[in-house]
This record gives sequence, structure tokens and C-alpha cells, in this order.
Amino acid sequence: MNQENINPDPEDTKLGTLLRASRVGPALPPRFQEGVWRRIEEAEEPIQSTDSIAWLDKLAALVLHPRFALTTATVLIVAGALLGVREGSQMVKQDAQARYLAAVAPHSLH
Amino acid sequence: MNRSLVILLGALVLGATLLGGSYAVSRHVCERCMAKSVSDLDWLQQEFHLSDAEMARIQKLHEGYLPKCAEMCAKIAAKKTELEAALNGSTNVNAVAQQKLAELAALRAQCQAQMLQHFTEVSQTMPPEPGRRYLAEMQRLTLGLHEQTEASMSGSMDHEHHQP
Repeated sequence: MNQENINPDPEDTKLGTLLRASRVGPALPPRFQEGVWRRIEEAEEPIQSTDSIAWLDKLAALVLHPRFALTTATVLIVAGALLGVREGSQMVKQDAQARYLAAVAPHSLH
Repeated sequence: MNRSLVILLGALVLGATLLGGSYAVSRHVCERCMAKSVSDLDWLQQEFHLSDAEMARIQKLHEGYLPKCAEMCAKIAAKKTELEAALNGSTNVNAVAQQKLAELAALRAQCQAQMLQHFTEVSQTMPPEPGRRYLAEMQRLTLGLHEQTEASMSGSMDHEHHQP
């Protein structure tokens, strides 16, 4: 890099300022304001997803907590076992009833 | 986000596996344990909470009824064979087939009456409340099937009558 680029000539700076001032800015496109607001709204959306990330992180941390994990696993196993015993005994009862019915009333089944 | 989501999905899958696994295992174990000593009359003892003395009386009635039931079944089976022979090769319901149908219906009615008589005797062996419940349940189970069929048939007949 040479010295001229680091310290530009003051005359050049003045000329540049004059040129910028003389330049006429283009007219705003139609519905410019509406477009700006839409962009602002779109820009706010990632903030919401950041909130959901925090929520997921908190939930994941809770799930990984040993006490919570152990309690949940115990509740699920006990609930499954109770449901299984209930369903199993119901099935056995139905089978026994069908067996009795088949013995005493075989023609009623056909 | 991905890591948390994976953890949560993994936890969900693990939870579902635990619930499903414990359900399947306990159901299987329950069925195997409870089905070990099931005889024809076990249902009566379990459902109606009968004493050993009551069960002994019912067992006697049951053993007395079974040969009669088997005899009736054999008669019905023989009559059905006769009916099939009468209908075999025939293009309409001839007089012989009609006679066999009537005999078969009479045998079925006799079988049903004998069965209901047995249910009544068994219910009288039980204490009053379980006896009533047993009789109602057996009538529902044995006669209800025919009633359902007849009700559905008459329902479809009514439907047909309403058609223009």
C-alpha cells in the first residue's frame, strides 16, 4: 500500500463530498414502507424460535436429571405392569367363561 | 436445538418402550399364571365367589348334565345329516326335508329347554344373589345370540318394507 491511499489529498476529499452532494437519490419504490415493516416482522421471528430453543433445552435438561428420569421410568413401568395384569386377568376370565359355555351350551355358540 | 430435540425424542422412545414392555411382560405372566389350573367350572368359582361345598354340588350337577348334553348333540348332528341327505340333489324344499327341518327344530328346542333347566338347577345351588346373576348371565349368553340374530333380521325386514 502506498502513502497516497492512507492519507488522501484534502482536495480529493472536498471533491468527493461535492460529488456526493450533487448526486440525486432515486425515488422510493412503491409500497416501500410496507416492505420495511414486513422485513422488520420477519427479522423478529428468529427471536421466537430462540425462545423455543431455550424451552427445549430446559426440558432436555430436566429429562436428563437422574431423579426425574428414575421417577418417570418407575411410574411408566408400574403403570404398564398394572395395565398388563388388568388386561391379562380379563383375558383369562373371558377364556374361562368361553370354556364353561362351550361345555354346557355347545349349540348356543354355533 | 438438535441435541435437545434428540434427547427428548430418545426419552420419548425409551418411555414408550418401558411402558409397552412392562405391559406385555406382565400380561403374559398374568395369563400364564392364571390359566394354569383352569377347568370348565373355574369360571363359576371365580365369578360368583362360591364355596368348596357349593362347587362340589355344582360339579355333581355338571357331571350329570354333560352326558345328556352330549346325547342331545349327537341327536342334533344325526338329524342335520338326515336333513342334508334330504336336500341333496333337490331343487326345492320337499316334504321330507320339511319334516327333517321340523324334527331338527324340535330337537334344538328340547336341547335348549334341557340346558335352561340345568342353569336353573345350578343357580338354585348358589346363594340367592349370585344365583340370580348366574341365571341372567347364562340366559343372556345362550339365548342372547339368537335374539341378536332375530333382531337384526327383523330390522332388515322392516327396512325392506319401507322401501317403495
